Amino acid sequence: MADPGNRVRIAATDCLTPFGDAAATLAALLRGERALKRVPVLGREGGDLVPLALIEGRALDESEPPEWLSPLSRLARSIPGEGWGSARRPIFVTGSNFGVGALYAYRRSLAAVTQGTASAAGLEPPKEDFLKWGDPGACVARLAREFGWGSQVTVFSHACVSAHLGLLQATRALEAGLADEALVFTFDFLSPFVAGGFHALKILNGEWPAPYENRPTGAIGLGDGAAYAVLGKGKGDLCLAAQNLHNEMYHVTGNRPDGSGFAACLEPIVAAAKGRRVWMKGHGTGTLEAGRLEAGALAQAFGEAPLVGWKGSLGHTLGSCGVVELSLAAQAIRVGRTPGTVGSRAPALAGAVAFDAFDNRSFDAVVCASNAFGGSHAAFLLAHA
Amino acid sequence: MLERILLRLHTDDAGVEEPSITRDRLKAAFPLGTTRRMTQLGLMVGTALDRVEAGPADSVTYASTFGETRALEGYLDSYPGASPTLFQTSIHPSAVQQGRVVRQGALREFFPVAGGEHLVLSALLVALLEPSGQSIFCGGEERGTWLRERGLGSPRSFGFAVALGRKVGAGVPLGRLRLIEAEGGREDDSGGTLSLCDWFDLLHGRHSYAGAVGPGWRLELTWM
Repeated sequence: MADPGNRVRIAATDCLTPFGDAAATLAALLRGERALKRVPVLGREGGDLVPLALIEGRALDESEPPEWLSPLSRLARSIPGEGWGSARRPIFVTGSNFGVGALYAYRRSLAAVTQGTASAAGLEPPKEDFLKWGDPGACVARLAREFGWGSQVTVFSHACVSAHLGLLQATRALEAGLADEALVFTFDFLSPFVAGGFHALKILNGEWPAPYENRPTGAIGLGDGAAYAVLGKGKGDLCLAAQNLHNEMYHVTGNRPDGSGFAACLEPIVAAAKGRRVWMKGHGTGTLEAGRLEAGALAQAFGEAPLVGWKGSLGHTLGSCGVVELSLAAQAIRVGRTPGTVGSRAPALAGAVAFDAFDNRSFDAVVCASNAFGGSHAAFLLAHA
Repeated sequence: MLERILLRLHTDDAGVEEPSITRDRLKAAFPLGTTRRMTQLGLMVGTALDRVEAGPADSVTYASTFGETRALEGYLDSYPGASPTLFQTSIHPSAVQQGRVVRQGALREFFPVAGGEHLVLSALLVALLEPSGQSIFCGGEERGTWLRERGLGSPRSFGFAVALGRKVGAGVPLGRLRLIEAEGGREDDSGGTLSLCDWFDLLHGRHSYAGAVGPGWRLELTWM
């Protein structure tokens, strides 16, 4: 455990959601607003209407250059400091989709041209430029050039816990003395590729997500999201007091039915939170089994601490959710109000789910947790430095 | 300088072998009936992790530029009736998860590193900064078809896993790995880089190496 006086701190953090930056997003969540809208799952090609939260003005279909590039560039250029990607200021880029939406657009338009159905489907001819975004390394290299970053860039892709890996590795680089500050930058923008995939799994259906609500059918929504966190040792009023990972490898899309995977991840977080009054920001996508296990494990670990989840409004921002929600939790601590579990109502699946916003000024810290395919779990304790 | 001993190693150079041949070659290493939906990369990396005795207390770093190329190709081609199985399988880092799930093989930490040019350096830094000093570095690629023709898939298939430690454990150590900040500091981007293929060939051939691995870092790999 690091010396408490020398803990890695959050020097700066912000996010981008359909509501705007962290301040605007938190304000919207406190008002109970929902960013999700029903959109055809395959974009121009139609399909069932499913709840997606897209950045304003952006279509689900990919374009070249991507419509998300401009807002993402604005977020990147708002990061304080200079020299990102240099030796002492490494960058950890995390996500799960990167430019795969462009690859999807390329392949679908190529297939339509081959079949002679391109114009009927409203598809443009395939553009070779789409392929320049086609793998995570190529996508991040393009972004690094666009943002003026140096070469010290590490890319993590571990589905919906990706952003947590960036935070942990940035912390380790700082603690090893290999960096003065580290940037964790994360983004995931939706496309028919990922919407179609979750729709095929039948969890992205027509229903609105209601995280932790005990109801007959589960459902998720998906959302665009991007965020950053600057980590360092000198500046910042909040710190990552503990971080942990655990990978069950029990089932590709499921968790151990006894909830032991969730508990294993939370164990060191519980130890670090001892003596503190915490609230909890869970993963809470809106699926029933994972929601029940997660809420149960959090209640077992932290008793009556209030649990909230924000994906009922923002949708699941996939690989970016760990830092998007870190940014929102930090903002909530600063304004003294925690948004409730927007989109859900009693009864809860388990635990002390807070459906409404509450005053958090009597709390010392927040537990933030995320989960991913493969029974992957990640959690950290965000506390006053 | 960061330094580790190579404790256990497994490599598989499948080259241009078709996935069905790889499946026949490796299926005996997995529980009966579990390999039908596994990918070539999943079979190779899953086998490699078993051979280096990956266990629930381990931190595993996994490196692949292209990941599940064949599953990604198949998933993209499944539209408009998107395949749920290929969607799951196409997602990075499915190769490791496939092999671990069929064995119910939990991992304490799992760091899937993606990227291209400096992938090996990134992955080595992750593996070597793991605080306990005990970690496994695995990775690989599978040969693509239409994605490969467009530069988005590997021309060859391979998989590896190497167990790293600070101390010699049971058995004979295989080699030593040192990651050294290059003279001139880490701003120096002129020394070249080591690709994942290059790294694999060093391991597979037990070749020693002393040279650039990525911006500002040198790698020394020696065999005992």
